[in-house]
Amino acid sequence: MDIENTTAQMRKGILEYCILLVLSGNSCYASDIIRELKEVKVIVVEGTLYPLLTRLKNAGLLSYRWEESPQGPPRKYYELTGQGRKYLAELDQAWAELVESVGLIRKNRK
Amino acid sequence: MKITLSVNLGGYSFNIDEDAYDELRAYLENLGIWFAQEESSGEILNDIESRIAELFRAKLSDYKQVITIEDVKAVISVLGTPEDIAGKNGEGNRGRTGAAGTHRMYRDPDNRMIGGVCAGIAAYWHIEPLVIRIIFLALVFAGGLGLLIYLILWIVLPEARTTAQKIEMRGEPVDIHNIKESVKREFEQVRKKMNL
Repeated sequence: MDIENTTAQMRKGILEYCILLVLSGNSCYASDIIRELKEVKVIVVEGTLYPLLTRLKNAGLLSYRWEESPQGPPRKYYELTGQGRKYLAELDQAWAELVESVGLIRKNRK
Repeated sequence: MKITLSVNLGGYSFNIDEDAYDELRAYLENLGIWFAQEESSGEILNDIESRIAELFRAKLSDYKQVITIEDVKAVISVLGTPEDIAGKNGEGNRGRTGAAGTHRMYRDPDNRMIGGVCAGIAAYWHIEPLVIRIIFLALVFAGGLGLLIYLILWIVLPEARTTAQKIEMRGEPVDIHNIKESVKREFEQVRKKMNL
């Protein structure tokens, strides 16, 4: 067992949830999402994000639109679809349950 | 003095050093192999290219107008190699078959006598370059066929320039460990040359 691998797996498990959470406010373009996820250390290398964004979009949870940028080519802005909001609500609940479960187990040991 | 190339990346135009170009192209090819089995691999690669363009632009200024190999390496470490992206034991072997274990013949510029053909063949088969050189010399003296074969191979075989290509030449899978080993090997070679 190796601690780095285990924590990496944990982070990976909640990555989709985190992306949907970031997008639950305003629509963002990929670099905004990356900045926020990096700040809280959920992702280590940026390349992880792109296949996930595309998968979420193909699953109908996200959509994007092209927006002119003040400099350079237009940017892709992602936002949650209706289906994405429902999915996020379910994940919110699942996360709350997980935190509670782990909390209970820890409490039982004290 | 170095030759630079002009490339279009995510809608921006960049001047890039030749060695930096080779490194970047090898990286994008590896990503392409890695994501080949994804439903929208083209779209993922386009998004990544746009991000690379954005990171490159942040490195350029009036005083620095060309992308160097250091810039490319820095960007690769930010975006991650296919192995970084998949995580250590991450997503199993998805997409691995292509990226790993490619075994290609190249000319080996590090151990060359003339064009690196013999050294490249030797690296491919994991034998001493001297053996191949003796065979070629024998063929040259026995009617000159060796010379013709050598020239054809010199033209046909590409030179192993990037770290990834050098690993492919030896038939090792291109992963972090082997890249590290290969870089270490190159470093040792340079050091040896400096001592001479």
